[in-house]
Amino acid sequence: MISLNQVFKSFAGTNAVDDVSFSVPEGAFLVLLGPSGCGKSTMLRMLAGLDQPTGGQIRFGDTLVADGQSGFALPPARRNAGLVFQSYALWPHMTVAGNIEWPLKVAKIPPEERRSRITAAMEMLGISQFADRYPGEISGGQQQRVALARMIAPRPRIMLFDEPLSNLDATLRVEMRLELLKVHAASGATSVYVTHDQVEAMTMATHVAVMNRGRIEQFDAPERLLADPSSAFVAGFVGTPPANLIPIADGKWFGTMPDPGLPNVTGHAMVRPETIYLVDKPDPRTLTLTLAEIVPMAGRRLVTGIADGIRITAISDDANRIPPELHFRLPAAPAAIFDREGNRIS
Amino acid sequence: MTIPLRRLGSPLARHGLTIAMAVILIALVAAPLVTILIQTLQPASGAAAWMDVLTGRLSQNLFWRPTANTMIIGLGVAAGCVLLGGFLAWLVVMTDIPGRPAVAFMATLPFMIPSFATALAWGSVFRNGRVGGGGGLLEGLGFSVPDWLSWGMVPTIIVLIAHYYALAFTVIAAALATVNGDLVEAAQMTGASRKRILLGIVLPVVAPAIIAGGSLAFAGAVSNFAAPALLGLPVRMQTLSTRLFGMIEIGQTERGYVLAILLITISAVFLGFGNRILNSRRSFATISGKGARPRRFSLGGARLPLAILAWAICILTTILPILLLLAASLAPSSLSLFSGWSLHYWIGHSDPAFARGQPGIFHNPQLISALTTTVMLGAIVAVAANLLGILIAVALTRQKVPVLSNLVSQMSFLPMLLPGIAFAAAYIALYGAPIGPLPALYGTKLLLALALTAAMLPFAVQTGRATVAQISGDIDEAARMTGAGFFRRLGAITLPLAIRGLAAGLLISFVNVIGDLAITILLYTPTSPMLAVLSYSYASDGFHQFANAVTLVILVISMLATGAATLLHGRRRQNFA
Repeated sequence: MISLNQVFKSFAGTNAVDDVSFSVPEGAFLVLLGPSGCGKSTMLRMLAGLDQPTGGQIRFGDTLVADGQSGFALPPARRNAGLVFQSYALWPHMTVAGNIEWPLKVAKIPPEERRSRITAAMEMLGISQFADRYPGEISGGQQQRVALARMIAPRPRIMLFDEPLSNLDATLRVEMRLELLKVHAASGATSVYVTHDQVEAMTMATHVAVMNRGRIEQFDAPERLLADPSSAFVAGFVGTPPANLIPIADGKWFGTMPDPGLPNVTGHAMVRPETIYLVDKPDPRTLTLTLAEIVPMAGRRLVTGIADGIRITAISDDANRIPPELHFRLPAAPAAIFDREGNRIS
Repeated sequence: MTIPLRRLGSPLARHGLTIAMAVILIALVAAPLVTILIQTLQPASGAAAWMDVLTGRLSQNLFWRPTANTMIIGLGVAAGCVLLGGFLAWLVVMTDIPGRPAVAFMATLPFMIPSFATALAWGSVFRNGRVGGGGGLLEGLGFSVPDWLSWGMVPTIIVLIAHYYALAFTVIAAALATVNGDLVEAAQMTGASRKRILLGIVLPVVAPAIIAGGSLAFAGAVSNFAAPALLGLPVRMQTLSTRLFGMIEIGQTERGYVLAILLITISAVFLGFGNRILNSRRSFATISGKGARPRRFSLGGARLPLAILAWAICILTTILPILLLLAASLAPSSLSLFSGWSLHYWIGHSDPAFARGQPGIFHNPQLISALTTTVMLGAIVAVAANLLGILIAVALTRQKVPVLSNLVSQMSFLPMLLPGIAFAAAYIALYGAPIGPLPALYGTKLLLALALTAAMLPFAVQTGRATVAQISGDIDEAARMTGAGFFRRLGAITLPLAIRGLAAGLLISFVNVIGDLAITILLYTPTSPMLAVLSYSYASDGFHQFANAVTLVILVISMLATGAATLLHGRRRQNFA
């Protein structure tokens, strides 16, 4: 179990991590999701012990590992945690087997045990044939596997991943997602995974913490983020495609199109693409847009138009030609309403 | 639309530039080396010269003792440079020492100061009266300076370390910067101790750079002429380069050529060794993370003492020698550098009561002529070398010819491996005598210009490649897609992009030429020597104030040019801190 209590981290007066509290159970796969600079990597480094919080406490199980108030911090190696770096950070002067072995040597694990663990880790990741190669002599995907093998060989109870897939191409990324889940399941460890890619979060996580400007916007199961986003930021960040956020003012769409289904507020209404219908003729419940793009997806089409500089996407099932001028029929009521600051109202 | 890319199908049009460059490089680089080899392989004279040098009665004095001295100097300087440069690199890259960017900048400067300037500055402090010409500052203060500190091996090694440690610093700092960050943090995650991370991760990863830095310093030190000549020759300490100079000077050219070949071999073996290690399969992996915040090792209580030490090293090797030279160029008595200052050595008229009637350097017609010769030659060589550099770069990227392209590339980098004085000897071997209808070039400025141009080629080709990369890359293609013609693109895209790099390349060549002594000492024209040669001959005649003043003139010109180059190159300057 990992639990955080009011954790802060400030660099030169600004809070990179701002009052973060959450807890995840043993064996969970937690994804820290957010745009670059949101504080997710700093969070991970504090979990690893490479950075210290300036406020709050971090506990692994019942063990206090860092306390920003007292300045106490357990050194990285005593947290029983492993970290996979974005750069992989393989030691270039050691072979693949050497890279996996070194942490075991440092941990004073006897040679026979080391050998069996190296073999097991390399077999699990399918890199046995590269045992004697140097990192400079294998491909990026293989290096990634070595980094994973090096991390799991000491059998950490907490596995930390810092955007591990961002240096791989699209196909390899899908393959490695499975590989990571396999490693996670086999180890039974708790994983914390940092990414800016919401697809990775949706496909791998048991828990997601959506972060923005150092704060947690929402901490939830992945499907809850989609079903019940707690802020406009979350609503616009997750989902493939993400939900539409359409500006409303005083109960009117775009401040001009009154709708009894809207509350009398100003902010954004969340409208899911699958609830918007593409129709041939304008009527009082349709928005008129200029066609921007059509993306075929799983036998359907995502049709995106632009009105007033805002992109709105609908899902269309028919295979007819799409005209340059679009008419989107809106649902009777939006799925959620956010105020000007992005807070959920209803 | 068809583009007549290969309008002229003849091999000459397709390979013309590469062929032309190969011919020029053969004349500038390969031919002199082949000639010197052939001349020493002549059955009669050549064989005798090899015997004399290697096994004859004089071989101890001609070769073995100078070689032993050269090796001791090379190894001592390499070790010293790695220690000093590595220490500063560690401080700058890995620790929280105050003023890191300034130390990083200062530590690259000593290489800009010609080694004879540092050698003269050493003399102004540590010289003793043993070889005549008065003592230095320390003797003036009443200390008796032992010979080993005044002359010979120890001061030569110290002066060369002060000159070449900048090389080791640059190479090692770059390597440390790659290991600092993720690689060290990955090791910290395992719980390894600081010592274990240093010995198990940092040192092995940086080892290739340490060896490369050491081999660069070694090659520089064994090739150096100025320091052993100024500090060693007065007490008859010979190195291969001073011995080679002596042989050529007294007309025993065959023996000189043999020594040149041996010197080239020694220097090239060590440089090749360093290169091999740098390119081995264990060197650095390439994937980069998000610019990980480098971790600064906290020095705690040692912070201030180490900072003072680092600053002391930087100041002792850059500012202090220059200030000493300035004081020594003003002080009539070398025993008291800071009293009775006079501008005589700079602007005085000839006065029989003063400095044996020598006028100040600015009233010495030789200086004025040397000044113009040096600046002109520097400018011409810089332009010629960089022009060739660009043409060679174009030939290498645009006209790939099997074998020939590889040859051109190898030949253009070969001068990097050649000690200047040995290279100059090779030029005498080839161009010293008439070739067919061509007159002998020995003693002409043309020969000097050719040799210096060839010596600057490795830098120039590097600059040229960077420039051509701008011309032939996506950027140019993007402009081509707009339909802009060649000259339009040249003016609007290529030149504005390349101009900074080119100008910096020109200035670097210029500074290297005007500070060069190793090539000019053998090839200068007696009627109008270069400034560096003038300074050297003043110094060997015991007129230290004049030598110092001339050296300062060179330094001022260099600093102006370096300053300009830094300004132009500013954006690309590597930043370790």
